[in-house]
Amino acid sequence: MDGNGTSRRIVIDADLARELRRIVGDDAIVSRASELKVYECDGWTIEKSAPDLLVMPHSTEEVSAVLRALHRRGTPFVPRGAGTGLSGGALPLAPVMICTSKMNRILSIDLANRRVEVQSGVVNLHVTNAVKANRYFYPPDPSSQMACTIGGNIAENSGGPHTLKYGVTTNHVLGLEVVLPDGEVVVLGGPVDERCGYDLVGAVVGSEGTCGMVTAATLRLMREPEGHRTILATFADVEDATAAVSKIIASGMIPGAIEMMDRLILKAVEAAFHVGFSPDAGAILIVEIDGLEVGLDERAAAAIELMKACGVSEAKLARDEAERALLWKARKRAFGAVGRLAPNYATQDGVVPRTRLPDILRVINAVSERHGLAIGNVFHAGDGNIHPIVLYDERVPGHVQHAIEAGREILTACVEMGGSLTGEHGIGVEKMGEMPLLFAPDDLIAMTELRRVFDPDERSNPFKVIPTPGACVEVTSPRRQVPL
Amino acid sequence: MSAVIEDAGAIGAVETIVEPRSAEEIADIVRKCEGDKVGLAPLGAARTLSQIRRTPTPIGVSLRRTANIVAYEPEDMTVVAQAGLTIGDLNATLATAGQRLPVDPRDPGATSLGSLIAAAHAGPLRLSEGTVRDLLIGIQFVGHGGRIVRAGGRVVKNVAGYDLMKVLTGSFGTLGIVTEATFKVRPIPENYRLAVATFDAVDAAFEAASTLHDQVPLIHLEVTSPGVSAAIGASDRFVVLAGFAGIRSELEYQSNRIASVLGPSVEMFDGARALEPYGQLRDLDFPDGIAARMAVLPNELARCAREASAEFVAHVGSGIAELWMPAADPRGAARARAVAHSARGHLRIVSAPASIRSQLEFFDHPNPGALKLMQRLKSTFDPAGVFNPGCFVGAL
Repeated sequence: MDGNGTSRRIVIDADLARELRRIVGDDAIVSRASELKVYECDGWTIEKSAPDLLVMPHSTEEVSAVLRALHRRGTPFVPRGAGTGLSGGALPLAPVMICTSKMNRILSIDLANRRVEVQSGVVNLHVTNAVKANRYFYPPDPSSQMACTIGGNIAENSGGPHTLKYGVTTNHVLGLEVVLPDGEVVVLGGPVDERCGYDLVGAVVGSEGTCGMVTAATLRLMREPEGHRTILATFADVEDATAAVSKIIASGMIPGAIEMMDRLILKAVEAAFHVGFSPDAGAILIVEIDGLEVGLDERAAAAIELMKACGVSEAKLARDEAERALLWKARKRAFGAVGRLAPNYATQDGVVPRTRLPDILRVINAVSERHGLAIGNVFHAGDGNIHPIVLYDERVPGHVQHAIEAGREILTACVEMGGSLTGEHGIGVEKMGEMPLLFAPDDLIAMTELRRVFDPDERSNPFKVIPTPGACVEVTSPRRQVPL
Repeated sequence: MSAVIEDAGAIGAVETIVEPRSAEEIADIVRKCEGDKVGLAPLGAARTLSQIRRTPTPIGVSLRRTANIVAYEPEDMTVVAQAGLTIGDLNATLATAGQRLPVDPRDPGATSLGSLIAAAHAGPLRLSEGTVRDLLIGIQFVGHGGRIVRAGGRVVKNVAGYDLMKVLTGSFGTLGIVTEATFKVRPIPENYRLAVATFDAVDAAFEAASTLHDQVPLIHLEVTSPGVSAAIGASDRFVVLAGFAGIRSELEYQSNRIASVLGPSVEMFDGARALEPYGQLRDLDFPDGIAARMAVLPNELARCAREASAEFVAHVGSGIAELWMPAADPRGAARARAVAHSARGHLRIVSAPASIRSQLEFFDHPNPGALKLMQRLKSTFDPAGVFNPGCFVGAL
């Protein structure tokens, strides 16, 4: 009983349930409605729909057997990592959910070649933790990196603060083991730096779980920079802060990260973590310079000089690793701290050309006033990737609708400025309706053709990414009918 | 109306060249070719395909009349350009703002952006800047039915929709014709310096290079075989070339560390004196031989370069080596390929004299599962089978 009025055309039968239980074992299957409730959504909580059955295979072989059983019956499925996604990519719009939580082994670490091979359920941060003693790291570092999985990162092509300099997931995945929706196990790419034939790895990364189940990946590691200088820069308002970002980028300097938080977010973060942000700060930047130790002081001083020209009121360096860690903790947990400000919030993930940051912030202000909802901003300023957080209270009539419309208006403005709907969270179900703003019908058809190369029946994570005629793509209520 | 150049057979890749002026004209050509079941292939300077096709394709679509920069925003560090523009011309414009598209295949002045994407060309800079797949953030191409398809966008971070950029990169014109591309660009590094050192033994050269790779952030890092070293005027032995850059303090620090690793034979060059040998290294070719590119596990590169019995430029850290073998022994390429396979890699022949092409397999073999998906991709994106047919992996 999910209580949300969901209607399903496909209901799994007892025979399938028995077969799946035989494959994965009693410890790896969940069928009780009360326990399935945990899986009814990911970080996109506006829509919910529990699966009929959850399986947690222990191996590639089990995934393959599960998918063969589903294939015989034409049953759709939804892959799930840790469920930390923010666009509804793991929203179960299929009866069977397959979770990688029991496939969490690091299969091999090859430091000589700067490679690791991991199962897809391995947690992002565990990769870096496994190699950092040897001064290597795995660059993509989404805010959820303590929980999110490599498989989920691959599905969404995840980023993070340090991708400004070091690239996103797709720049670091060399090879994949994928179980296709018919159960066939294929190996794409490999441990070497060039592809043999078409770049199918590049096609699967960022396909949001619609090409089958990724079960293992070969990742490229990088050498830790020798040192860091982490600057906390305080500004009177976001305009000055964004001008400083443009100045730094235009100077030819490529910091490891440039992150911004505005007044609203700072208040929440300060209350949660006591970082010592100035109470009058209108915005702060965290600018991290990394590289050879010998040049860091000069480079940091140059960055501070540039910010002075933009009216920075205070710029101070983190004194030690503990101070640096506190700054990053505050930044990465900003989303959680926002829980103090409102019962509900929805995070957007639009992108604008870096030079348009001041313009999009003005739009966000106007949207906030028009809908009577507070909107906080915490984002990857160096990339032009914004994360406006729309605060609302789902118990207040009209709030949900206003939150959805506010998000849509911001995304529309991003596209009009030459940007994109999503920088790192994915389209999922959340932004499917906006895809036609960005792409013409022929573009979407070509993308669907690519997906069908892997999944001809569109059974892997159905009703995601590409709006399909006949499916309900308009997000009109938090409890919409699921198109099954 | 497209200009048509008759008698293009001289270049060996195609029989007739057309020179359309727009994506729409290319779309018309594609529809016509599909209707008539006639093959066509995109051409930049026609150097890529003319080196590997065994038989010419009937129609060559030259992109040289679509060679404009569409949009360039230095402060956004992105550029949109038509596919016929050469890397050299693009970089001449970007240099006015202190930026560049950091890809350096052989002879960038003659390599079009379309060719860069279609053949996934790369050079020494891959070590620090990645390859075209890492820099390409948006694409427009003409696909089957003459449809004009766009994917990606103009912003540096973007996960909206499927990544057709990756699918087209390295597809050798077999899925469609790329007409426009958007790239991330990067600042030109300050104070480029090149360290060059000579070694008598191949293993010592690779060992020194790999120590450097472990200890110092470099822009590029190569080991060259004696024939290559001589051709770039460096020495007649094995040579390590390490490029690096930075502000003065970093440059001095790195120079000292590099010198201590490479030993007394090391020489350092700055400015034009550094760029000249770098350019020779990048553009080097032995056009009479069989040229190949091998990709292997980086720590197997020394062994593979040694066992391939070829002249080589080995890109240390990336696990890539360019090889040149004598055309008189066409089976040498197959032996080198077996060496690549022994290091979990593969080998692609980049060019070979026309007279021996029928004896060569230009592309390596993907595994059967991957090949099946590639066949499906090809038949989906090119149902009429007209885009550069019979030239790519698995005769796709």
